[in-house]
Amino acid sequence: MSYAYLFKYIIIGDTGVGKSCLLLQFTDKRFQPVHDLTIGVEFGARMITIDGKQIKLQIWDTAGQESFRSITRSYYRGAAGALLVYDITRRDTFNHLTTWLEDARQHSSSNMVIMLIGNKSDLEARRDVKKEEGEAFAREHGLIFMETSAKTAANVEEAFINTAKEIYQKIQDGVFDINNEANGIKIGPQHSLTNPGMSSSSGGGNQSSGCC
Amino acid sequence: MADIEDFRSSVDPYGFKRTENFDYDCYEQFMSKYLSVLARRRSKWERILGMKANGHVVRSNKIKRYVRKGIPSVFRAQVWMEVSGAEYHRRSNPGLYEAMRIACHDKDLIEVIVTDLDRTFPDNIYFQAETSSEKYAKRQSLFNVLIALGQKNQKVGYCQGLNFIAGLLLIVVKDEEKVFWLMDTLINDLLPDYYSRDMLGVQTDQEVLGELVKERMPDVTRMLDAVGVAWALVSTKWFICLYCDVLPTETVLRLWDCIFYEGSKVLFRVGITLVKHNRAKILNCRSFPEVVNIFKESTNDKFVINCHQFIQAIFSEPGSLSRSHIDELREQCQQRVVDNKHH
Ligand SMILES: Nc1nc2c(ncn2[C@@H]2O[C@H](COP(=O)(O)OP(=O)(O)OP(=O)(O)O)[C@@H](O)[C@H]2O)c(=O)[nH]1
Ligand SMILES: [Mg+2]
Repeated sequence: MSYAYLFKYIIIGDTGVGKSCLLLQFTDKRFQPVHDLTIGVEFGARMITIDGKQIKLQIWDTAGQESFRSITRSYYRGAAGALLVYDITRRDTFNHLTTWLEDARQHSSSNMVIMLIGNKSDLEARRDVKKEEGEAFAREHGLIFMETSAKTAANVEEAFINTAKEIYQKIQDGVFDINNEANGIKIGPQHSLTNPGMSSSSGGGNQSSGCC
Repeated sequence: MADIEDFRSSVDPYGFKRTENFDYDCYEQFMSKYLSVLARRRSKWERILGMKANGHVVRSNKIKRYVRKGIPSVFRAQVWMEVSGAEYHRRSNPGLYEAMRIACHDKDLIEVIVTDLDRTFPDNIYFQAETSSEKYAKRQSLFNVLIALGQKNQKVGYCQGLNFIAGLLLIVVKDEEKVFWLMDTLINDLLPDYYSRDMLGVQTDQEVLGELVKERMPDVTRMLDAVGVAWALVSTKWFICLYCDVLPTETVLRLWDCIFYEGSKVLFRVGITLVKHNRAKILNCRSFPEVVNIFKESTNDKFVINCHQFIQAIFSEPGSLSRSHIDELREQCQQRVVDNKHH
């Protein structure tokens, strides 16, 4: 399928916060209550539409356990967007955000857009981190913020798409050098832009298989 | 196990739900031939083991050859214990497993293990939460083994990946203490530093695999470089899980037969063979996701389902793989990994 741009994302955060579930909800529109834990890195993709343009998101879902950091770090490089996820029912995962952020800033391009996500918003009764705390952290560090539920799908689309909008805006503003692939942005194959037959479905879920 | 198996069952003989796209025809075709192989191997092993009153298996070239041809499932636990040295450790440390299991454990260690209990083989009937009957109660055993292991190996603690290995071992070996010693032997004797804090051993071996592929198939290496696929992306799980939850179960067990005898070198053989077998497909790719897909598919096709042929292939296709060469590459690659980390 043709696309105008390809954005590379990375999803980071402590183990068990729901990174893989968020990705699955976004690419397949389903929730798998018992998802295999992630070893190393998994990979997913989906097409979205922004400003009438087809944008392909290529998403790297990383393992959250600390031992994997040295391996997953290399994936920050070349990412245009990062979803930094914590679990609103586990304060620990919120407390670790600073470390994650330092890591991300140190190993990524300085223009990377970071979206802070407080996941599992459906578990209101077990909430351990107030929404205001998430907002405050985001404000303080210049991140976008949202609470999501991979289970009910609340805000999941928005989280991925708003990140893309921000990146898109930065491209319009000339902040990103789109010719440098190290920024995690690629311009689609030229011929595809002149193919009107393909520009239909906005964000139909399709996994990584065989497009591109 | 396999001789009473229903080839069309949606659950495999080890309790794993088969994937939606599982190729039943291909599997049945393979099994109908493999059954006679299994019967032949079984009678050979019976002859060997029957001669020893104490059930000991002494390492020898003959046993090594036998192991490569597959250990029958009835003897698997016993032979793994013997040839790996786990049985020796168990006997030398009576009561140690129990002591480690009931020791006072670190709170954080308990927490990280518990987080992963329901994320270990969620599709396996032995590990599902709903089933309460004793037959299916492998979760508690999984916790016991992992906590005892972390207690004994404090430098490792708990590392994800160990849960999958322990899980499959529990299904096959069915004895917590033996599983504990098999894992302890893997961690301390058979694998180089895979499960330590920074996984230096895994990072190193991924690079080594890259070098071994480059020596044999430089065109593949050029292709991967061109589209930006790093070995860490495709092979992290291969090494950390010893191909468990990656290759089909029967194939994993045949591979583990060899690992328990020969150690970690076999892991490279599998990696090289997978690449070699899919070389043409990889070279045909034009993009990063295509390559990633080929690697995904390569662990679930006809070639790997036929475990007997696949294990033969790993000992022929990669060609010679001397220990000294591996050691040399490991040294170089480890240096590279360490250097990389510091800038
Ligand atoms: N109630 C609820 N549970 C969730 C939600 N998202 C994830 N979970 C649960 O949290 C568990 C962990 O989710 P994963 O997606 O596997 O976590 P992860 O962040 O990918 O973890 P690692 O792969 O270990 O880094 C899953 O078993 C889900 O059942 C959510 O939005 N609501
Ligand atoms: Mg995950």
